[in-house]
Parts: sequence; structure tokens; C-alpha cells
Amino acid sequence: MNKYSKLFLLSLVVAQLSAEQFLIKGGTIFDGKNEAFIADILIEDGKVAKISSNISVRANETIDATDRIITPGIMAPQTQIGIIEIGAISATKDTSSDIYTIGFSIYDAFNPNSTLVPWNRSNGVTSAISLPDLDYDPLSGLASFFLLDSKLQVNGIKDLAIIGEIGGSTGGSRAESLALLEDLLNFGISISDEDALSDEELGDLAEDNKIASELDLTPRDTRALYRVFRENLPLLMRVNRASDILKLIEIKKKFNINLIIMDAQEANLVATDLAENNIAVIINPVDNIPDSFDELASNINLAATLESAGVTIMFSESRSHNYHLIRQNAGNAVANGMSYLGAIKGLTSNVASSFGISGRGTIQEGNNADIVIWEGDPLEPSIMPLNVFINGENMDLSSRATSLTKRYTNPSDKPNTYKK
Amino acid sequence: MLFRKSPKLIYLLILFALPSLSEREPFDSTYKPLPAQYILFKNANIYDGESNELQNSDLLIKDGIIQAIGDEIAIEDEQLLIVDATGKWITPGIIDIHSHMGVYPAPGVRTSSDGNESTSPVTADVWAEHSIWVQDPQYALALKGGVTTFHILPGSANLIGGRGVTVKNLQRNTIQSMKYPDAPHSLKMACGENPKRVYGNRGQAPSTRMGNFAGYRKAWIQAENYLKQLQEYESKSDNAKELEYAPRRNLEMETLAGVLKDEILVHIHCYRAEEMAVMIDVAKEFNYKITAFHHGVEAYKIADLLADNGICGALWADWWGFKHEAYDMVQANIAIVDQARNGTGCAIVHSDDERGIQRLNQEAAKAWSAGNRAGYNISKARAINWITSNPAKAAGIYDRTGSIVAGKDADLVLWSKNPFSVYALAEKVYIDGGLAFDREVGFYPVSDFDLGIIKPSGVRVE
Repeated sequence: MNKYSKLFLLSLVVAQLSAEQFLIKGGTIFDGKNEAFIADILIEDGKVAKISSNISVRANETIDATDRIITPGIMAPQTQIGIIEIGAISATKDTSSDIYTIGFSIYDAFNPNSTLVPWNRSNGVTSAISLPDLDYDPLSGLASFFLLDSKLQVNGIKDLAIIGEIGGSTGGSRAESLALLEDLLNFGISISDEDALSDEELGDLAEDNKIASELDLTPRDTRALYRVFRENLPLLMRVNRASDILKLIEIKKKFNINLIIMDAQEANLVATDLAENNIAVIINPVDNIPDSFDELASNINLAATLESAGVTIMFSESRSHNYHLIRQNAGNAVANGMSYLGAIKGLTSNVASSFGISGRGTIQEGNNADIVIWEGDPLEPSIMPLNVFINGENMDLSSRATSLTKRYTNPSDKPNTYKK
Repeated sequence: MLFRKSPKLIYLLILFALPSLSEREPFDSTYKPLPAQYILFKNANIYDGESNELQNSDLLIKDGIIQAIGDEIAIEDEQLLIVDATGKWITPGIIDIHSHMGVYPAPGVRTSSDGNESTSPVTADVWAEHSIWVQDPQYALALKGGVTTFHILPGSANLIGGRGVTVKNLQRNTIQSMKYPDAPHSLKMACGENPKRVYGNRGQAPSTRMGNFAGYRKAWIQAENYLKQLQEYESKSDNAKELEYAPRRNLEMETLAGVLKDEILVHIHCYRAEEMAVMIDVAKEFNYKITAFHHGVEAYKIADLLADNGICGALWADWWGFKHEAYDMVQANIAIVDQARNGTGCAIVHSDDERGIQRLNQEAAKAWSAGNRAGYNISKARAINWITSNPAKAAGIYDRTGSIVAGKDADLVLWSKNPFSVYALAEKVYIDGGLAFDREVGFYPVSDFDLGIIKPSGVRVE
């Protein structure tokens, strides 16, 4: 080995170490479960290696986080990040299918280079669950989980929930949708492990079933229904009206399925039912508008009401481009009566636990190091992250927005287009 | 005796004066304020909407008017209500320059969706105020966010969408009784994707941006001709007038001529920098003034041009990506527009959204911090202008409201905390010195829609 190759090897080792080891000193930590405490965090090999009051390790990089707040990376539970670029340009949207319904997976469409990824990440969002459009009634496709690390080798969990919707529509009665949901679940529960081994068998089953054949279910759609029962795949249902929520609770009990509800604008009227049945909800706490006749009880106190009943809460935002606004929404929930700790959990650990995403959502030893160091209170919209770690990697916090800002705030004699 | 007032003359004066006092033009405001309170706010922190921050200051309101602001105002009067504002903040009432409340009310059902007369690219004849549903439950929600005045615009489907209207946030049974007295009318125009999509999809003009511009110019040429006819007729002697018909009334042309006569303020939905620049030239071609560009996601690219032409940018803090023309978002947009040409720019934070209108203070906070992150040194006292005095200017009502200055209307918000915090809540809101919202005692308006709709004898939002 000559000295050049030795040098090369050495630089490789240094590069690897610096990518893998960080010591964060003295930050105020909300770990996603407990009230804040001050401690050091050692990140090693992408994981939280140690949390302790005074870690003395010579790490490759030490970050002084005194007076800073540290939280788990924000987990976005109901987005279209990575499968939509510009809302009005359908060629940049991969959110719907004409062929597949219940079993439509958007996983393979995810674009890690989407501009939505660095923008949301620079605002503290480290992972997202993306959903196809709610095109079909009552079940409409599969949601997948993605890390917002911009790696072309996509890092995520494929198809971790079936999405659907019950409520007022311009089409048929909601009674029809509820009946159809029951029929589909009855079909799903009838599928044996052996049936699920082959697409051919699943195809035959769908043909023999009156409802499945009426809906032209493909083997992919049928397999998704099977997974509800064999893998406890959650049903993530958009529902607003209180009476509809109660009907879904009945169905959950009847079939013993894992139910998560989203939007849930009238959940305040059935908060104890939701709590008693361990149903987590995804809400936008600033959406107090009675947008439809299903949402008349819409109220700014929704988060506080659900929290005091003991419901597990996650936060949503209507626009994927600015999904990071869930932290401003969470701040508003606190301003209107929710606990601060509850809001932090809603942004982090509640998403991980509700969707069965292991090793994320909390800062604890052994977990993947998805961590944000904030300038100050993360629920204040004027506060931004200083560092965002995903799998222990100190991420680039620039975005198209910061590049454009730089271009237009640095005066120069040259035309803009000659500035980078 | 040189002059003696004859009772007869006084009678005649009254006789002639009366009709002009009581005569109401159609659609004029019939607004009546709430009972005016006589209040001394003690020890408040104040953002006055004129870029000033006053700490531990007193503020006196009476007869609906701001009477005095000072360090130690001492008044002995049994009628005077003293409000201890220690640790709290007072700002001018918030003004949203871009709202569709009432014309796109909640619930958002087709039967009440009355914001876009998208049946022809030029509908200068329609007035947003004629679409307003006064029972929209959204007004009260905005009031709880400190909004005392808002400007309701038609939508952006059309090149020229019609007249907008400024209203006081006091829900009443008629539109006229909500209208801001003597506020100028506005004209809504729209650039870019929306008109060309709506009409292009129908195989009619405009289907391109150049088609858009041809559409505006054709309309203004017509308006110029109409105004010329009108002025020629008006300049004739009474005898000559009797010999010919007056020019026929034309609602579309009346609106456009109102712009050319500087009576109606022009508000333009426009995202892209180069389109705004061309719009400015169209305005120069026909000699009218643009008051504000709305949405302007790319306003930062031509911030100096906006400042040079005295045009406000009514913008969002961070919306982007829903359309191609909204792709180049920077969070410093508002700050860059504000700071253009040594801080002579006019920046406004607008909502265009019934959720956003409830927390324009938070949107201003984001824009403020993004601006300072981009290297500016903007005070919060200046940033509050973006949701108070600047929108008041753009609505043509700055002489009455938008800042805390003695002699102006007492449109005020008392905040629990500094309004740049997400935790700040509007505790009390005053419109013309009348208490319109009081969080502590649960005093707020309840629309007819809110009544008995969930529980037969309850209100929708307790």
C-alpha cells in the first residue's frame, strides 16, 4: 500500500466517522413521550446511541444546543409529499389510478427529488405518510411511509394503511357506502392465507363474490382487503359527521379492525367513544370552518376536547407543499387549550405508534436518529430548525426557496440569471 | 343691519339640505356602529400601525374615536371604564384586503357559491356585494381573530371580475348595513392561469396570456370611448343636452370608467413577475392606477418596480405549489416588497382563506422572521403595518382606520400576548369603539346559520 492510498483510506474513514457521529450538548429535549429535560445526545451509526446528562465522548462533531429545544423529527401523517409537485399540473401528480382501487399503491411513484421534500425538511419534517386521492368510495388505495432524506434509494414502508372515506357526497347515500364497506370487509375476512398465495386464486375469489365482481376488484385490491385481517393493516378513514364516526366505530368493533380516522371535524361530539375504542384521529386543529353539512360542529377547541377525553391525536394540514405548518397548527391547538406535551406527541410519537412505525417518533436510545434542533419553541411559526437529522445524518437545510431568496437579496451588477 | 337671518331662509336651507342629507344612493351603506364605549386602557403595549411600538402606554377611546395615546392619561369620570392592559398588547383592528367570505360562504355548497360570474371574461358589471350572504358563519370566526374590516372580492376566473366591497366585521341582516361607509369601490382583475384555463377550456378567448392582455386592453379601449362620450355630453349646455339623448347607461362601462376617473381602486390577482410588469404598462397605456397586486408569489422579483409605481403587494406568507405560477415561493417575499427602495414598498399580508383570516398576525410573524433571516432588520412594529395600515391604504380607508392615531376610528384589538406569538389570542375586539368580541365573557355574534343547527336550542359554536 503506497502512501497515497493510505491517505485515501484515512480520508474515507474520517468522512464516514463525521457522517456517523454527533454529540448534541445541553439541549432541552422533548423526547416525544416525556416532559422536557436537559441532556446530551450521542448519535452514532444513524441511531441514538446515548442520552445522558453529561456525555464525554470525542465525537466527530459536537453541537452546542444550550437553550435550544430538541424534538423528534416531525412525522407528517396525511400528505401527498413525493407524489405531487404542482397541484394544477396533472403530469406532476401520481395520486390516482383508473384501474386499481383498494389496492392502489403510490409507493413506486415517490420522487425523492421533489421540491416539497427539502422544503418540508428544512422546516423540521423528517418523514411523511403519503396518500393517494380519495377517488373511490368507501376504500380508495394504500398509504405509504417515506423518509424525507432525498435519497434516490427510497427509504420507507410500503402500503401501511388502506385509506377510505364515509360521508356526504354528490353520489349515493352514505348508507350505501357503509353497507359496501361491511360487504368488502366480509369478503376480506373470508380470504385464507392459502388463497392469498396466488393472484390467480384472488382473482377467482373476486369473480365469485357479488360485490367484488361488481367493483371489478383486481388481485391487488383483494390482497389489500386480506391484509386488513391477516396483518392488522389499519383502515385510515376520512370521516366528519358524528353519526358517521359512530357507525365506523361499530364496524371496527364488529370486525375487530385497526381504525384511524382523519379530518374528523365532529369528533368533539363523540370524543369518549373514540377514546374508549382506542381510535386515533388525525385532525387539522385550525380548521374550524363548517365547510360542509358533515362538519357543522367544527370547532377551534377540537384538539383540547379530544385530548381531555384521552384520544390519541395527530395533526394534519391541507397543503402538502407546506405540510410543515402542522407545527403552527399544533401551536394553535395549544393556544386553544391543548397541552404542550400533547401537541409535541401529536407531531411525533403518536404518528409512529398509530401506524406501527417502529424505531422512530421518539428520541430514545436505539431509535433511528430523526432529530430536530430548533432555534426556540418549535410551535412558534417564526422559529426554524437549526439542524435536522434523519437516520443520524445532518441534513442540508437549503431549498429552492432559500436559493431564490439568496438570488434576489444579493444586489449585483450582473443580471439575476448569472447568479446562483 | 347688513344681514339678518330670516326664518324663511333657514327653512328653505333646511328644505334643500334635507334631501341631500337623507337621500341614499342605491346600495349605499346604512352601517350603524355598536354603542361606543368610553374606555381608558392602562399600561398597554401598543403597536400603533405607524411603525411605532409603545410600551406601558395608555389609550383613551370615546365616541367611537381614538382620543389620546400617552404615558399617563389621568381622567376622573364616573362614566369612564378602565381596562387594565398590563402585559397585554393593543393593535389596530386587523384588515384583510382579500376575502371571499360571504360570496364563498360556509358551508361551501354550490347553491351559495357566488364569487365568480365565470360566464364571460369581462364582467365589470357585477358587484360582489350583491352576492354576499350575510349569515355566513365565517365572519364571527374572523372577528375572534381580531379582524375588524375586510375587503370582499369577486373570484379570479375572469380578466375583469367585477366590483369588490369593503365591509365592517359586524354581522347584520343586510349587506348595506355591513358596508364600510364611504369606502371606495374596487375592481377585481386577474392575470395568468385562471382566466386562460377557464375560457381556454371552453375553446374561447382568452386561452393564452397574450389573449389575457388583449382582453384587458379591448375592455379599456371601450371604457375610454364610453367615458369620452359621457364627458362630451356632460360638457354640453343644458339646452344642447335637451336636444339629444344622454349616453345609454352601461353597467360594465360605468365600472371601468370609474377606474379611469380614479374613483374605483384596482386590485389584480397576479402571480408572475413579468405579468405584473406588463399589467403596469397596460395601466399606463390607459392612464389608471393599480392599487395592489394580490397573491404575487413572484412580487419579490420586481419589488423595486412595485415601489416605484406605488403599488402594494398583498401576499401570503408561504403559500405555493398549487399552480405553476405559484411555484417560485420565497418566505421573504413580503419583507422584500416592504423593504424595496429604502423601505418605501407597500407590503400586505392577505388571507384569501377563511382559516388564514383568523390568524393574520401569525402569518405576519412568519413573514417578519423570514425577512430578518434573509438579512433585513425589520421591527415587529413595522411588520404589524402589513395587516393594519397598509391594507387600510389599499382599501382607501386609511384616513379613518388602520392605525392607532388620535382622531381615527377606534378599531382595536386587545391581545393576551404579543401578537407575533402563536399563543396570542384576541381577548377583546372593538369596532368604532363598540365592543364586538369579548373572549372572557363569551360575547360574540352568532349568525342565524349557527342557531339550532346541531342542537335545536343550541348554537353551533359554544
